Amino acid sequence: MRRHRVLERLLVVPTAAWTLVFFVAPLVLITVFSFGSENLVTFRISFGWTASNYSAFSGSLYLATLLRSLGLSLGTTLGCALLGLPLAYFITRQRPGIQRLLLAGVIVPFWTSFLVRTYSWVNLLQSQGPIDRLAHGLTGHHVEVLYTPTSIAIGIVYSYLPLMVLPIYVALERVNPDLYDAAADLGARPWRQFRRVVLPLARPGLIAGIIIVGVPAMGEYVIPEILGGGKTLMIGNIIVNEFLDVGNYPFGSALAVSLMVVLMILLFALRRVQPAFEAR
Amino acid sequence: MIRRHPVVGAIALVVIGYLWIPILAVAVNSFNRSSLMVRWGGSTAHWYSLAFHDHNVRTGLITTLEIALGSTALSLVIAVSGSLWWRRAPARARAIYDALVYARIVLPEVVFATALFFLFFKAHFPLGIVAIIIGHSVWNSAYAAVIIQARLTGLDPAIEEAAADLGATPWRVFRRVTFAALLPAIIASGLLTFTFSFDDVVTSYFLGGPASSPLPLVLFGMIRFRITPEINAIGVMVMLFTVTLMGAAVAVFALMGSARRGRRGAFAEFYGQ
Repeated sequence: MRRHRVLERLLVVPTAAWTLVFFVAPLVLITVFSFGSENLVTFRISFGWTASNYSAFSGSLYLATLLRSLGLSLGTTLGCALLGLPLAYFITRQRPGIQRLLLAGVIVPFWTSFLVRTYSWVNLLQSQGPIDRLAHGLTGHHVEVLYTPTSIAIGIVYSYLPLMVLPIYVALERVNPDLYDAAADLGARPWRQFRRVVLPLARPGLIAGIIIVGVPAMGEYVIPEILGGGKTLMIGNIIVNEFLDVGNYPFGSALAVSLMVVLMILLFALRRVQPAFEAR
Repeated sequence: MIRRHPVVGAIALVVIGYLWIPILAVAVNSFNRSSLMVRWGGSTAHWYSLAFHDHNVRTGLITTLEIALGSTALSLVIAVSGSLWWRRAPARARAIYDALVYARIVLPEVVFATALFFLFFKAHFPLGIVAIIIGHSVWNSAYAAVIIQARLTGLDPAIEEAAADLGATPWRVFRRVTFAALLPAIIASGLLTFTFSFDDVVTSYFLGGPASSPLPLVLFGMIRFRITPEINAIGVMVMLFTVTLMGAAVAVFALMGSARRGRRGAFAEFYGQ
Protein backbone atom coordinates (compact mmCIF):
# COMPACT_ATOMS: atom_id res chain seq x y z
CA MET A 1 0.00 0.00 0.00
CA ARG A 2 2.83 2.35 0.93
CA ARG A 3 4.63 1.66 -2.34
CA HIS A 4 1.40 2.38 -4.11
CA ARG A 5 1.23 5.84 -2.47
CA VAL A 6 4.77 6.64 -3.55
CA LEU A 7 3.95 5.65 -7.12
CA GLU A 8 0.89 7.86 -6.99
CA ARG A 9 2.99 10.85 -5.98
CA LEU A 10 5.37 10.16 -8.83
CA LEU A 11 2.51 10.77 -11.25
CA VAL A 12 3.14 14.48 -10.84
CA VAL A 13 6.62 14.18 -12.39
CA PRO A 14 5.75 14.42 -16.12
CA THR A 15 3.45 17.40 -15.81
CA ALA A 16 5.65 19.19 -13.26
CA ALA A 17 8.82 18.66 -15.28
CA TRP A 18 7.19 19.68 -18.56
CA THR A 19 5.48 22.76 -17.16
CA LEU A 20 8.54 23.96 -15.26
CA VAL A 21 11.03 23.43 -18.07
CA PHE A 22 8.95 24.51 -21.07
CA PHE A 23 6.51 27.01 -19.56
CA VAL A 24 7.74 28.57 -16.31
CA ALA A 25 11.46 28.63 -17.15
CA PRO A 26 11.04 30.37 -20.53
CA LEU A 27 8.77 33.02 -19.01
CA VAL A 28 11.26 33.65 -16.21
CA LEU A 29 14.04 33.79 -18.79
CA ILE A 30 12.42 36.50 -20.92
CA THR A 31 11.49 38.46 -17.80
CA VAL A 32 15.10 38.41 -16.62
CA PHE A 33 16.43 39.32 -20.04
CA SER A 34 13.97 42.16 -20.47
CA PHE A 35 15.45 43.79 -17.36
CA GLY A 36 19.01 42.60 -17.85
CA SER A 37 21.85 44.97 -18.62
CA GLU A 38 24.36 42.70 -20.29
CA ASN A 39 24.75 44.83 -23.34
CA LEU A 40 23.82 48.25 -24.56
CA VAL A 41 20.51 47.20 -26.08
CA THR A 42 19.32 45.43 -22.96
CA PHE A 43 20.45 48.34 -20.85
CA ARG A 44 18.41 50.76 -22.91
CA ILE A 45 15.31 48.68 -22.41
CA SER A 46 15.53 48.48 -18.64
CA PHE A 47 16.13 52.21 -18.71
CA GLY A 48 12.92 52.73 -20.67
CA TRP A 49 11.02 50.78 -18.10
CA THR A 50 11.65 53.06 -15.16
CA ALA A 51 8.97 55.54 -14.23
CA SER A 52 11.22 58.54 -14.78
CA ASN A 53 11.62 57.64 -18.45
CA TYR A 54 7.95 57.04 -18.92
CA SER A 55 7.57 60.15 -21.05
CA ALA A 56 10.27 58.91 -23.47
CA PHE A 57 8.51 55.57 -23.72
CA SER A 58 5.09 57.12 -24.20
CA GLY A 59 6.18 58.96 -27.34
CA SER A 60 7.23 55.76 -29.01
CA LEU A 61 5.51 53.60 -31.57
CA TYR A 62 5.51 50.75 -29.06
CA LEU A 63 3.37 52.37 -26.45
CA ALA A 64 0.92 53.50 -29.13
CA THR A 65 0.72 49.92 -30.38
CA LEU A 66 0.26 48.57 -26.88
CA LEU A 67 -2.57 51.05 -26.31
CA ARG A 68 -4.14 50.17 -29.67
CA SER A 69 -3.99 46.48 -28.73
CA LEU A 70 -5.61 47.26 -25.40
CA GLY A 71 -8.32 49.29 -27.14
CA LEU A 72 -8.97 46.61 -29.74
CA SER A 73 -9.06 43.93 -27.06
CA LEU A 74 -11.53 45.86 -24.89
CA GLY A 75 -13.65 46.86 -27.87
CA THR A 76 -13.84 43.38 -29.35
CA THR A 77 -14.57 41.85 -25.94
CA LEU A 78 -17.44 44.32 -25.56
CA GLY A 79 -18.59 43.48 -29.09
CA CYS A 80 -18.54 39.76 -28.31
CA ALA A 81 -20.55 40.38 -25.14
CA LEU A 82 -23.13 42.54 -26.94
CA LEU A 83 -23.64 39.91 -29.64
CA GLY A 84 -23.09 36.84 -27.48
CA LEU A 85 -25.41 37.64 -24.60
CA PRO A 86 -28.65 37.93 -26.63
CA LEU A 87 -27.70 34.85 -28.65
CA ALA A 88 -26.89 32.74 -25.57
CA TYR A 89 -30.11 33.85 -23.89
CA PHE A 90 -32.13 33.17 -27.04
CA ILE A 91 -30.69 29.64 -27.26
CA THR A 92 -31.58 28.78 -23.65
CA ARG A 93 -35.21 29.79 -24.26
CA GLN A 94 -35.74 27.26 -27.08
CA ARG A 95 -36.90 23.66 -26.94
CA PRO A 96 -34.05 21.15 -26.30
CA GLY A 97 -33.88 19.95 -29.92
CA ILE A 98 -33.61 23.47 -31.30
CA GLN A 99 -31.15 24.37 -28.54
CA ARG A 100 -28.82 21.64 -29.71
CA LEU A 101 -29.14 22.74 -33.32
CA LEU A 102 -28.38 26.38 -32.48
CA LEU A 103 -25.45 25.38 -30.27
CA ALA A 104 -24.02 23.40 -33.16
CA GLY A 105 -24.54 26.53 -35.27
CA VAL A 106 -22.30 28.43 -32.84
CA ILE A 107 -19.69 25.73 -32.23
CA VAL A 108 -19.14 24.25 -35.69
CA PRO A 109 -17.73 27.50 -37.19
CA PHE A 110 -15.34 27.57 -34.25
CA TRP A 111 -14.00 24.14 -35.23
CA THR A 112 -13.11 25.19 -38.73
CA SER A 113 -9.63 26.40 -39.50
CA PHE A 114 -8.85 29.63 -37.68
CA LEU A 115 -6.67 30.80 -40.56
CA VAL A 116 -9.30 30.18 -43.23
CA ARG A 117 -11.99 31.89 -41.18
CA THR A 118 -9.84 34.98 -40.86
CA TYR A 119 -8.88 34.90 -44.50
CA SER A 120 -12.52 34.67 -45.57
CA TRP A 121 -12.97 38.28 -44.44
CA VAL A 122 -10.37 39.46 -46.95
CA ASN A 123 -12.67 38.25 -49.71
CA LEU A 124 -15.79 39.67 -48.11
CA LEU A 125 -14.39 43.08 -47.19
CA GLN A 126 -12.21 43.80 -50.21
CA SER A 127 -12.95 46.83 -52.33
CA GLN A 128 -15.63 45.84 -54.91
CA GLY A 129 -16.24 42.77 -52.76
CA PRO A 130 -19.71 41.54 -51.70
CA ILE A 131 -20.10 43.80 -48.66
CA ASP A 132 -18.80 46.86 -50.47
CA ARG A 133 -21.16 46.31 -53.40
CA LEU A 134 -24.11 45.58 -51.13
CA ALA A 135 -23.48 48.75 -49.14
CA HIS A 136 -22.99 50.77 -52.31
CA GLY A 137 -26.23 49.43 -53.72
CA LEU A 138 -28.18 50.23 -50.55
CA THR A 139 -26.69 53.53 -49.45
CA GLY A 140 -24.62 54.80 -52.35
CA HIS A 141 -21.48 54.83 -50.20
CA HIS A 142 -18.48 52.57 -50.53
CA VAL A 143 -17.40 50.56 -47.51
CA GLU A 144 -13.64 50.25 -47.61
CA VAL A 145 -12.60 48.90 -44.25
CA LEU A 146 -10.14 46.17 -45.26
CA TYR A 147 -6.65 46.69 -43.75
CA THR A 148 -7.92 49.08 -41.07
CA PRO A 149 -8.49 48.61 -37.33
CA THR A 150 -12.17 48.07 -38.17
CA SER A 151 -11.45 44.97 -40.24
CA ILE A 152 -9.19 43.64 -37.46
CA ALA A 153 -11.99 44.18 -34.95
CA ILE A 154 -14.49 42.41 -37.21
CA GLY A 155 -12.11 39.47 -37.55
CA ILE A 156 -11.42 39.21 -33.82
CA VAL A 157 -15.10 39.40 -32.82
CA TYR A 158 -15.87 36.82 -35.48
CA SER A 159 -13.20 34.37 -34.33
CA TYR A 160 -13.72 34.72 -30.58
CA LEU A 161 -17.51 35.02 -30.42
CA PRO A 162 -18.18 31.29 -29.71
CA LEU A 163 -15.86 31.55 -26.70
CA MET A 164 -18.20 34.23 -25.29
CA VAL A 165 -21.49 32.51 -26.18
CA LEU A 166 -20.66 29.13 -24.62
CA PRO A 167 -19.90 30.15 -21.01
CA ILE A 168 -22.91 32.50 -20.96
CA TYR A 169 -25.07 29.69 -22.32
CA VAL A 170 -23.80 27.34 -19.62
CA ALA A 171 -24.61 29.93 -16.92
CA LEU A 172 -28.11 30.66 -18.24
CA GLU A 173 -28.97 27.08 -19.08
CA ARG A 174 -29.35 26.22 -15.39
CA VAL A 175 -31.80 29.03 -14.73
CA ASN A 176 -35.37 28.04 -14.03
CA PRO A 177 -37.46 29.78 -16.73
CA ASP A 178 -40.18 30.46 -14.13
CA LEU A 179 -37.92 33.24 -12.87
CA TYR A 180 -38.35 35.16 -16.14
CA ASP A 181 -42.10 34.54 -16.08
CA ALA A 182 -42.27 35.74 -12.48
CA ALA A 183 -40.49 38.95 -13.44
CA ALA A 184 -42.93 39.46 -16.31
CA ASP A 185 -45.96 38.68 -14.13
CA LEU A 186 -44.76 41.19 -11.57
CA GLY A 187 -44.83 43.80 -14.28
CA ALA A 188 -41.19 44.11 -15.39
CA ARG A 189 -40.89 45.34 -18.97
CA PRO A 190 -38.47 43.44 -21.27
CA TRP A 191 -35.57 45.84 -20.77
CA ARG A 192 -36.01 45.77 -17.01
CA GLN A 193 -36.28 41.96 -17.05
CA PHE A 194 -33.03 41.83 -18.94
CA ARG A 195 -31.22 44.23 -16.61
CA ARG A 196 -32.53 42.90 -13.31
CA VAL A 197 -32.93 39.16 -14.03
CA VAL A 198 -31.02 37.92 -17.09
CA LEU A 199 -27.88 40.01 -16.67
CA PRO A 200 -27.18 39.09 -13.01
CA LEU A 201 -27.77 35.42 -13.74
CA ALA A 202 -25.47 35.52 -16.76
CA ARG A 203 -22.71 37.33 -14.89
CA PRO A 204 -20.46 34.34 -13.99
CA GLY A 205 -20.54 33.16 -17.61
CA LEU A 206 -20.04 36.69 -18.87
CA ILE A 207 -16.92 37.15 -16.74
CA ALA A 208 -15.51 33.78 -17.86
CA GLY A 209 -16.18 34.85 -21.45
CA ILE A 210 -14.52 38.25 -20.95
CA ILE A 211 -11.36 36.54 -19.68
CA ILE A 212 -11.25 33.86 -22.34
CA VAL A 213 -11.85 36.40 -25.14
CA GLY A 214 -10.10 39.54 -23.91
CA VAL A 215 -6.78 38.03 -22.85
CA PRO A 216 -5.90 36.09 -26.01
CA ALA A 217 -7.31 38.89 -28.19
CA MET A 218 -4.83 41.31 -26.66
CA GLY A 219 -1.92 39.20 -27.93
CA GLU A 220 -3.49 38.39 -31.29
CA TYR A 221 -0.99 38.03 -34.12
CA VAL A 222 -2.58 36.22 -37.06
CA ILE A 223 -5.72 38.37 -37.39
CA PRO A 224 -3.92 41.76 -37.56
CA GLU A 225 -1.35 40.21 -39.85
CA ILE A 226 -4.02 39.14 -42.37
CA LEU A 227 -6.72 41.79 -41.89
CA GLY A 228 -4.40 44.66 -40.94
CA GLY A 229 -2.45 44.20 -44.15
CA GLY A 230 0.82 45.10 -42.44
CA LYS A 231 -0.41 48.67 -41.91
CA THR A 232 -2.27 48.43 -38.63
CA LEU A 233 -0.31 46.50 -36.08
CA MET A 234 -0.98 45.07 -32.66
CA ILE A 235 1.61 44.37 -30.01
CA GLY A 236 1.74 40.69 -31.06
CA ASN A 237 2.97 41.67 -34.54
CA ILE A 238 5.71 43.86 -33.11
CA ILE A 239 6.86 41.12 -30.75
CA VAL A 240 7.05 38.62 -33.62
CA ASN A 241 8.83 41.21 -35.75
CA GLU A 242 11.43 41.97 -33.07
CA PHE A 243 12.13 38.28 -32.59
CA LEU A 244 12.02 36.80 -36.06
CA ASP A 245 12.95 39.70 -38.37
CA VAL A 246 14.96 42.23 -36.37
CA GLY A 247 16.49 39.66 -34.01
CA ASN A 248 16.48 42.05 -31.07
CA TYR A 249 15.64 39.43 -28.45
CA PRO A 250 15.99 41.56 -25.28
CA PHE A 251 13.71 44.25 -26.65
CA GLY A 252 11.23 41.66 -27.91
CA SER A 253 11.31 40.11 -24.44
CA ALA A 254 10.58 43.48 -22.86
CA LEU A 255 7.55 43.90 -25.11
CA ALA A 256 6.31 40.38 -24.35
CA VAL A 257 6.77 40.93 -20.62
CA SER A 258 4.99 44.28 -20.74
CA LEU A 259 2.06 42.59 -22.50
CA MET A 260 2.03 39.91 -19.82
CA VAL A 261 2.07 42.54 -17.05
CA VAL A 262 -0.81 44.50 -18.58
CA LEU A 263 -2.83 41.28 -18.83
CA MET A 264 -2.06 40.32 -15.23
CA ILE A 265 -3.24 43.73 -14.04
CA LEU A 266 -6.46 43.32 -16.03
CA LEU A 267 -7.03 39.82 -14.66
CA PHE A 268 -6.50 40.96 -11.07
CA ALA A 269 -8.88 43.85 -11.66
CA LEU A 270 -11.50 41.42 -12.96
CA ARG A 271 -11.02 39.16 -9.94
CA ARG A 272 -11.62 42.11 -7.66
CA VAL A 273 -14.71 43.11 -9.60
CA GLN A 274 -16.32 39.67 -9.56
CA PRO A 275 -16.89 39.21 -5.79
CA ALA A 276 -18.15 42.79 -5.60
CA PHE A 277 -20.78 41.91 -8.18
CA GLU A 278 -21.75 38.72 -6.40
CA ALA A 279 -22.18 40.42 -3.05
CA ARG A 280 -24.94 42.64 -4.40
CA MET B 1 -42.34 37.36 -21.72
CA ILE B 2 -39.17 38.01 -23.65
CA ARG B 3 -39.01 34.55 -25.11
CA ARG B 4 -40.79 35.94 -28.10
CA HIS B 5 -39.19 39.33 -27.89
CA PRO B 6 -38.49 40.18 -31.51
CA VAL B 7 -35.30 42.16 -30.85
CA VAL B 8 -33.58 39.26 -29.07
CA GLY B 9 -34.60 36.79 -31.76
CA ALA B 10 -33.50 39.10 -34.55
CA ILE B 11 -30.07 39.70 -32.97
CA ALA B 12 -29.64 35.95 -32.44
CA LEU B 13 -30.38 35.11 -36.07
CA VAL B 14 -28.13 37.89 -37.39
CA VAL B 15 -25.29 36.62 -35.18
CA ILE B 16 -25.72 33.04 -36.42
CA GLY B 17 -25.62 34.41 -39.97
CA TYR B 18 -22.47 36.39 -39.15
CA LEU B 19 -20.84 33.15 -37.97
CA TRP B 20 -21.77 31.16 -41.08
CA ILE B 21 -21.67 33.50 -44.08
CA PRO B 22 -17.85 33.81 -44.28
CA ILE B 23 -17.45 30.04 -44.19
CA LEU B 24 -20.06 29.58 -46.90
CA ALA B 25 -18.32 32.29 -48.94
CA VAL B 26 -15.05 30.36 -48.75
CA ALA B 27 -16.81 27.20 -49.87
CA VAL B 28 -18.53 28.98 -52.79
CA ASN B 29 -15.35 30.74 -53.90
CA SER B 30 -13.42 27.48 -53.90
CA PHE B 31 -15.47 26.62 -57.01
CA ASN B 32 -15.28 30.12 -58.49
CA ARG B 33 -13.69 30.27 -61.93
CA SER B 34 -12.88 33.97 -61.50
CA SER B 35 -9.56 34.22 -59.69
CA LEU B 36 -10.25 37.74 -58.42
CA MET B 37 -13.24 36.35 -56.48
CA VAL B 38 -15.04 39.66 -56.74
CA ARG B 39 -17.93 38.13 -58.60
CA TRP B 40 -19.05 34.71 -59.76
CA GLY B 41 -17.30 33.55 -62.92
CA GLY B 42 -18.80 30.09 -63.36
CA SER B 43 -17.88 26.90 -61.53
CA THR B 44 -14.69 24.89 -61.73
CA ALA B 45 -12.87 22.16 -59.80
CA HIS B 46 -9.56 23.54 -61.02
CA TRP B 47 -8.51 24.99 -57.65
CA TYR B 48 -8.99 21.63 -55.96
CA SER B 49 -6.77 19.87 -58.45
CA LEU B 50 -4.21 22.66 -58.10
CA ALA B 51 -4.23 22.25 -54.31
CA PHE B 52 -4.02 18.49 -54.65
CA HIS B 53 -0.88 18.62 -56.75
CA ASP B 54 0.80 21.41 -54.81
CA HIS B 55 4.07 20.03 -53.45
CA ASN B 56 4.24 22.47 -50.52
CA VAL B 57 0.71 21.59 -49.49
CA ARG B 58 1.46 17.88 -49.54
CA THR B 59 4.66 18.01 -47.53
CA GLY B 60 3.04 20.56 -45.23
CA LEU B 61 0.18 18.20 -44.57
CA ILE B 62 2.53 15.35 -43.69
CA THR B 63 4.54 17.59 -41.34
CA THR B 64 1.32 18.78 -39.69
CA LEU B 65 0.08 15.24 -39.14
CA GLU B 66 3.40 14.21 -37.57
CA ILE B 67 3.32 17.21 -35.26
CA ALA B 68 -0.34 16.73 -34.33
CA LEU B 69 0.14 13.02 -33.55
CA GLY B 70 3.31 13.63 -31.54
CA SER B 71 1.93 16.49 -29.50
CA THR B 72 -1.36 14.68 -28.86
CA ALA B 73 0.44 11.61 -27.52
CA LEU B 74 2.69 13.71 -25.29
CA SER B 75 -0.20 15.86 -24.07
CA LEU B 76 -2.25 12.83 -23.11
CA VAL B 77 0.59 11.29 -21.09
CA ILE B 78 1.13 14.58 -19.26
CA ALA B 79 -2.57 15.29 -18.72
CA VAL B 80 -3.61 11.78 -17.61
CA SER B 81 -0.75 11.28 -15.15
CA GLY B 82 -1.13 14.84 -13.86
CA SER B 83 -4.88 14.48 -13.38
CA LEU B 84 -4.49 11.19 -11.50
CA TRP B 85 -2.01 12.88 -9.17
CA TRP B 86 -4.26 15.96 -8.84
CA ARG B 87 -7.10 13.82 -7.54
CA ARG B 88 -5.26 12.85 -4.34
CA ALA B 89 -2.98 15.86 -4.06
CA PRO B 90 -2.93 18.23 -1.07
CA ALA B 91 -4.99 21.39 -1.52
CA ARG B 92 -2.07 23.81 -1.86
CA ALA B 93 -0.27 21.72 -4.48
CA ARG B 94 -3.56 21.41 -6.31
CA ALA B 95 -4.00 25.18 -6.38
CA ILE B 96 -0.56 25.65 -7.93
CA TYR B 97 -1.28 22.94 -10.48
CA ASP B 98 -4.65 24.50 -11.36
CA ALA B 99 -3.12 27.95 -11.73
CA LEU B 100 -0.49 26.58 -14.13
CA VAL B 101 -3.12 24.79 -16.21
CA TYR B 102 -5.19 27.97 -16.37
CA ALA B 103 -2.14 30.08 -17.24
CA ARG B 104 -1.18 27.79 -20.12
CA ILE B 105 -4.65 28.22 -21.60
CA VAL B 106 -5.06 31.94 -21.07
CA LEU B 107 -1.56 33.33 -21.77
CA PRO B 108 -1.42 34.79 -25.30
CA GLU B 109 0.33 32.37 -27.58
CA VAL B 110 2.69 35.06 -28.84
CA VAL B 111 4.16 35.55 -25.37
CA PHE B 112 4.54 31.82 -24.74
CA ALA B 113 5.99 31.06 -28.18
CA THR B 114 8.47 33.94 -27.86
CA ALA B 115 9.62 32.72 -24.48
CA LEU B 116 10.07 29.11 -25.58
CA PHE B 117 11.85 30.23 -28.74
CA PHE B 118 14.24 32.24 -26.60
CA LEU B 119 14.85 29.29 -24.25
CA PHE B 120 15.64 27.00 -27.19
CA PHE B 121 17.90 29.68 -28.63
CA LYS B 122 19.82 30.01 -25.35
CA ALA B 123 20.01 26.24 -24.85
CA HIS B 124 21.08 25.67 -28.48
CA PHE B 125 18.16 23.33 -28.93
CA PRO B 126 17.50 22.89 -32.67
CA LEU B 127 14.27 24.31 -34.06
CA GLY B 128 12.09 22.00 -36.15
CA ILE B 129 9.42 19.36 -35.76
CA VAL B 130 10.53 18.22 -32.30
CA ALA B 131 10.58 21.80 -31.01
CA ILE B 132 7.07 22.38 -32.40
CA ILE B 133 5.79 19.16 -30.79
CA ILE B 134 7.18 20.27 -27.42
CA GLY B 135 5.63 23.72 -27.83
CA HIS B 136 2.19 22.43 -28.79
CA SER B 137 2.18 19.91 -25.95
CA VAL B 138 2.61 22.69 -23.39
CA TRP B 139 -0.80 24.28 -24.07
CA ASN B 140 -2.46 21.15 -25.42
CA SER B 141 -1.75 19.23 -22.20
CA ALA B 142 -3.59 21.99 -20.32
CA TYR B 143 -6.71 21.63 -22.47
CA ALA B 144 -6.59 17.85 -22.09
CA ALA B 145 -6.13 18.17 -18.32
CA VAL B 146 -9.27 20.31 -17.98
CA ILE B 147 -11.41 17.75 -19.81
CA ILE B 148 -9.93 14.71 -18.05
CA GLN B 149 -10.23 16.32 -14.61
CA ALA B 150 -13.87 17.16 -15.21
CA ARG B 151 -14.44 13.48 -15.83
CA LEU B 152 -12.37 12.41 -12.80
CA THR B 153 -14.37 14.57 -10.38
CA GLY B 154 -17.47 12.63 -11.45
CA LEU B 155 -15.83 9.29 -10.63
CA ASP B 156 -16.80 8.03 -7.16
CA PRO B 157 -13.71 6.64 -5.34
CA ALA B 158 -16.03 4.10 -3.66
CA ILE B 159 -16.15 2.14 -6.92
CA GLU B 160 -12.38 1.76 -6.94
CA GLU B 161 -12.37 0.87 -3.24
CA ALA B 162 -15.02 -1.78 -3.89
CA ALA B 163 -12.90 -3.28 -6.67
CA ALA B 164 -9.89 -3.37 -4.35
CA ASP B 165 -11.94 -4.95 -1.55
CA LEU B 166 -13.06 -7.63 -3.98
CA GLY B 167 -9.44 -8.58 -4.49
CA ALA B 168 -8.34 -6.65 -7.56
CA THR B 169 -4.69 -5.63 -7.63
CA PRO B 170 -4.01 -1.87 -7.79
CA TRP B 171 -2.99 -2.18 -11.45
CA ARG B 172 -6.17 -4.08 -12.24
CA VAL B 173 -8.30 -1.50 -10.41
CA PHE B 174 -6.64 1.22 -12.45
CA ARG B 175 -7.09 -0.61 -15.74
CA ARG B 176 -10.63 -1.88 -15.25
CA VAL B 177 -12.19 0.96 -13.26
CA THR B 178 -10.26 4.24 -13.37
CA PHE B 179 -8.90 4.06 -16.90
CA ALA B 180 -12.15 2.63 -18.26
CA ALA B 181 -14.08 5.55 -16.75
CA LEU B 182 -11.59 8.06 -18.15
CA LEU B 183 -11.48 6.60 -21.64
CA PRO B 184 -14.20 8.82 -23.19
CA ALA B 185 -12.49 11.93 -21.82
CA ILE B 186 -9.11 10.69 -23.07
CA ILE B 187 -10.44 10.06 -26.57
CA ALA B 188 -12.31 13.37 -26.68
CA SER B 189 -9.36 15.38 -25.42
CA GLY B 190 -7.06 13.50 -27.80
CA LEU B 191 -9.19 14.56 -30.76
CA LEU B 192 -9.44 18.11 -29.45
CA THR B 193 -5.69 18.50 -28.96
CA PHE B 194 -5.04 16.94 -32.37
CA THR B 195 -7.28 19.57 -33.95
CA PHE B 196 -5.67 22.47 -32.05
CA SER B 197 -2.24 21.28 -33.09
CA PHE B 198 -3.40 20.77 -36.66
CA ASP B 199 -4.66 24.36 -36.77
CA ASP B 200 -1.81 26.15 -35.02
CA VAL B 201 0.11 29.04 -36.59
CA VAL B 202 1.94 31.07 -33.94
CA THR B 203 3.83 28.40 -31.98
CA SER B 204 4.81 26.59 -35.18
CA TYR B 205 5.94 29.87 -36.74
CA PHE B 206 8.42 30.49 -33.92
CA LEU B 207 9.63 26.96 -33.32
CA GLY B 208 9.66 25.53 -36.84
CA GLY B 209 12.83 27.19 -38.02
CA PRO B 210 13.49 27.53 -41.73
CA ALA B 211 13.30 23.82 -42.53
CA SER B 212 9.87 22.69 -41.40
CA SER B 213 6.62 24.20 -42.65
CA PRO B 214 3.42 22.60 -41.43
CA LEU B 215 0.27 23.17 -43.49
CA PRO B 216 -1.06 26.22 -41.58
CA LEU B 217 2.25 28.00 -42.21
CA VAL B 218 2.11 27.11 -45.92
CA LEU B 219 -1.41 28.51 -46.00
CA PHE B 220 -0.40 31.58 -43.98
CA GLY B 221 2.40 32.29 -46.45
CA MET B 222 0.00 31.96 -49.38
CA ILE B 223 -2.52 34.31 -47.76
CA ARG B 224 0.11 36.95 -47.17
CA PHE B 225 1.81 36.84 -50.53
CA ARG B 226 -0.65 35.83 -53.22
CA ILE B 227 -4.38 35.53 -52.83
CA THR B 228 -5.70 32.76 -55.06
CA PRO B 229 -8.86 30.64 -54.95
CA GLU B 230 -6.55 27.70 -54.31
CA ILE B 231 -6.46 28.91 -50.69
CA ASN B 232 -10.24 28.48 -50.57
CA ALA B 233 -9.99 24.94 -51.88
CA ILE B 234 -7.33 24.00 -49.30
CA GLY B 235 -9.38 25.77 -46.66
CA VAL B 236 -12.52 23.79 -47.48
CA MET B 237 -10.61 20.51 -47.25
CA VAL B 238 -8.94 21.51 -43.97
CA MET B 239 -12.28 22.62 -42.54
CA LEU B 240 -14.01 19.38 -43.48
CA PHE B 241 -11.19 17.45 -41.83
CA THR B 242 -11.22 19.39 -38.54
CA VAL B 243 -15.00 19.50 -38.33
CA THR B 244 -15.11 15.72 -38.75
CA LEU B 245 -12.54 15.26 -36.00
CA MET B 246 -14.25 17.63 -33.60
CA GLY B 247 -17.63 16.09 -34.37
CA ALA B 248 -16.12 12.72 -33.50
CA ALA B 249 -14.76 14.15 -30.25
CA VAL B 250 -18.17 15.39 -29.15
CA ALA B 251 -19.92 12.23 -30.32
CA VAL B 252 -17.53 10.07 -28.30
CA PHE B 253 -18.05 12.21 -25.26
CA ALA B 254 -21.82 12.26 -25.65
CA LEU B 255 -22.20 8.55 -26.36
CA MET B 256 -19.81 7.25 -23.72
CA GLY B 257 -20.34 9.94 -21.12
CA SER B 258 -23.23 10.04 -18.72
CA ALA B 259 -26.53 11.14 -20.20
CA ARG B 260 -26.61 14.34 -18.20
CA ARG B 261 -23.14 15.44 -19.11
CA GLY B 262 -23.22 14.11 -22.64
CA ARG B 263 -26.12 16.29 -23.69
CA ARG B 264 -24.20 19.47 -23.10
CA GLY B 265 -21.23 18.17 -24.99
CA ALA B 266 -17.54 18.37 -24.44
CA PHE B 267 -17.42 22.12 -24.70
CA ALA B 268 -19.62 22.71 -21.69
CA GLU B 269 -17.33 20.29 -19.91
CA PHE B 270 -14.40 22.30 -21.11
CA TYR B 271 -15.61 25.28 -19.14
CA GLY B 272 -15.81 23.09 -16.06
CA GLN B 273 -19.38 23.99 -15.32
